[in-house]
Amino acid sequence: MWDNWLNKLADLRDPLRPPGAVEEDEFLQKCIRCRKCEEVCPFESIKSAHGEWGLKMGSPIIHPRDTPCYLCEDFPCIESCPTEALEPIKSKNDVKMGIAVIDKTLCFAYNDILCRACFERCPIHREAITMKDELYPVVDENKCVGCGICEYVCPTEQPAITIISSHKVGG
Amino acid sequence: MQVGTVLFIIAVPLLNKIGYHGVNGTFYSLSIGELNIVDPALALQTILLTKSIYLPLILAIVLPILLAMFLGKVFCSWMCPYNFLAEFTEKFRKLIKPVEKQKNTNPSPQYYWIIFGIILVLLMITGIPVITLISMPGLITSQIADGILYNVVGIEILLIALLLILEVFVAPRFWCKYACPVGATLSLVKTKYALKIKYSAKSCAECKEIKENPCNQVCPLQLNPKSVKIYPYCNNCFECITTCNDVGCRALKITFQPLKTNKP
Repeated sequence: MWDNWLNKLADLRDPLRPPGAVEEDEFLQKCIRCRKCEEVCPFESIKSAHGEWGLKMGSPIIHPRDTPCYLCEDFPCIESCPTEALEPIKSKNDVKMGIAVIDKTLCFAYNDILCRACFERCPIHREAITMKDELYPVVDENKCVGCGICEYVCPTEQPAITIISSHKVGG
Repeated sequence: MQVGTVLFIIAVPLLNKIGYHGVNGTFYSLSIGELNIVDPALALQTILLTKSIYLPLILAIVLPILLAMFLGKVFCSWMCPYNFLAEFTEKFRKLIKPVEKQKNTNPSPQYYWIIFGIILVLLMITGIPVITLISMPGLITSQIADGILYNVVGIEILLIALLLILEVFVAPRFWCKYACPVGATLSLVKTKYALKIKYSAKSCAECKEIKENPCNQVCPLQLNPKSVKIYPYCNNCFECITTCNDVGCRALKITFQPLKTNKP
């Protein structure tokens, strides 16, 4: 449909949504852009999309390189959502915002520079990111929640570990 | 009242920025403590788009709907920040283009419902949350929130500016009068017992000696209050009643009684 087409005009990267977000198509219809999740976020991780996002403008977006999601115990963002665009979540392990992907050409560890930044800071500790041979970080796609803390802490200039959002238009 | 609203919509994001979340949200949706309020137009949009009903959302529109059922579109005249801005641009318009005599007439109600219908059909066909994107109270409050929280405003601000410019140079007050889906939803739920303006020809002094129809001149939406046909356009701002009383006449009154439509 042409709402997708209009959205794609501005698609730079699939947006990372707050925890509990329903599928992207449904999310864009349910989210009324009220900014409540933004306002209650204690880390100011949630920001609103602007014009460059086309018709997604006003919807909540997380830019992990600026401020990732710290996966609050009680998820105030979900609590604040009036339309169930963000659905309740039992524990942080059930969040599925996206999946971290490592670019081995950029990653220090894979280029023989000792680095464990993402492994150390991953909130799904020792599960979502493990160290192969105690040297190389490996992401478990099933365990990773996509909070973006790894992308935030990655010391390379262009982050070697980035989150691929699970919020793609049309699925 | 409206100045209070302006202070309120600036205070809410400020309080949230410093960590107080007791009051939060925008005029899309507002939370005061445990009380959740959602704009009924947006609830209608969500229901039409998702074709499902979510109970907390229905509960959140009870309060604004009750208000509109019995007081009419008072949100528009008492609280809406766009109305506040438009009143300023209207003053500006009169400054650059003085109108000596305003002859207001009441447009037929069909136009109002046709425009609202078009918006709803567009919404259903495209699947785009049209009401969110054009809701002026929501856009204005959320842009203020974005500005205060992150020191940025979006291109939405251009839409607000465009409408205000159109109101000054092309069609005065057209947005509130004809196009706003938020007001239309409130009009939709208004009952016949709602607060309304009643004109009685018997007590009207015709005001010929003072100025021709001051009540007519003063209407911000350019309606003619000396007729029962001011609804669904009228948003109960009561400017005309104030003016009527000021000239010492009591031809315009507020009432909750249903009006007889066969009266002229």
